[in-house]
Amino acid sequence: MSSDLLLDRLVDELRPVRPSNPRRQLAILLCLAAVELAGFLALGTLRPDVAAALGRAAFWWKMGGLALLAAFGVHIALGSFNPVSSPRSGLRRWAVLVAGLFLVGWVIDVAGQGTSALVARLMWRMGVECLTVMTILSIPPIVALGLMMRRGAPTDRQASSVAVGVAAATWGALIFAFHCPSDDPFYIVFWYSLGVSAITLMARAVLPLVSRW
Amino acid sequence: MTAAEEEWGRLMVAAQQGNAGAYRRLLDELRKWLCRFYARRLPPAMVEDAVQDTLIAIHEKRHTYDSERPFKPWLAAVARYKWIDRLRSMGRATMEELPDDIAIEDHESSVTSSVILTQLMTKLKPAQAEAIRLVKIEGFSVEEASARTGQSGSLIKVNIHRGLARLATIVQKQPDVE
Repeated sequence: MSSDLLLDRLVDELRPVRPSNPRRQLAILLCLAAVELAGFLALGTLRPDVAAALGRAAFWWKMGGLALLAAFGVHIALGSFNPVSSPRSGLRRWAVLVAGLFLVGWVIDVAGQGTSALVARLMWRMGVECLTVMTILSIPPIVALGLMMRRGAPTDRQASSVAVGVAAATWGALIFAFHCPSDDPFYIVFWYSLGVSAITLMARAVLPLVSRW
Repeated sequence: MTAAEEEWGRLMVAAQQGNAGAYRRLLDELRKWLCRFYARRLPPAMVEDAVQDTLIAIHEKRHTYDSERPFKPWLAAVARYKWIDRLRSMGRATMEELPDDIAIEDHESSVTSSVILTQLMTKLKPAQAEAIRLVKIEGFSVEEASARTGQSGSLIKVNIHRGLARLATIVQKQPDVE
């Protein structure tokens, strides 16, 4: 097709469009998070010892850390859907934040725990349940962010997919944390890292294929 | 920011609102800019396809332009993304028969016009750069390139594929290749 014909066709197809608005996207995602959390808790999943947990530093480390990681991950992912922005430096800062949170978790662990056997502390059965539910809870944000990514114009699709993966995974983990009765930093770091890594790898494998433009 | 670039931003905002006249004017201007952009970065036979591909991408992604930001970086990011895409697809097309019209009679002018591509190729292994230059830029067949370089036909294909993948990675990591 000649360029002139192409331009004629593009002009003929022109329709008004609503420019991308990160604030609107953020509002949609906040609503989705609220609906997902409400739906999850409506199933009677809130941990029974929540009142006692409120007084533990490890509980606030877990909830605050996950909220921070999810929010920062969403911020990086949304920013990367504009062609001008690359998420790579944001992802590096996200990884530094994870390392910092692990360090704080280790300090809390050393200060508050004895030397019980590490294997026992992992509680395999509960850990596998944790992985499964966390993955299920990550599906709504992966779909929402994936659709936004597809509508956007990410120029580094691989890195944007990683950003979506870490955002959705920590989001799912945060919602699951309202149910998860363990505040053991060793358990949290092991199982939650495993879950976040698996979900991120899945997003990295699939999203670049569906967001090509 | 130049006056022309500011004008492009205004035209794009009008196009987002459905103004066909402004859009036509903008696309005409962008076509010329894209021709210059790709002439420095791709073999001549691929420039027109890259320009058209990018114009379609601009059309489909016009809602991602933020009127509060300058237009040129947005345009350059889209054009660069399509350049990387084109480099990758050149690598994937290695096994296919090249069309007759890719061969350029004036080899020297084709090389000098793709000046940025040629500069980037200095960062490749010499065998990879040579294979890409002969087959993808100058339009020789794999067999001809094999005879000229002494590399086997399969090695030529492998070097093209790996060299172009490496080029795409280099461009992706260098935000402002000029």
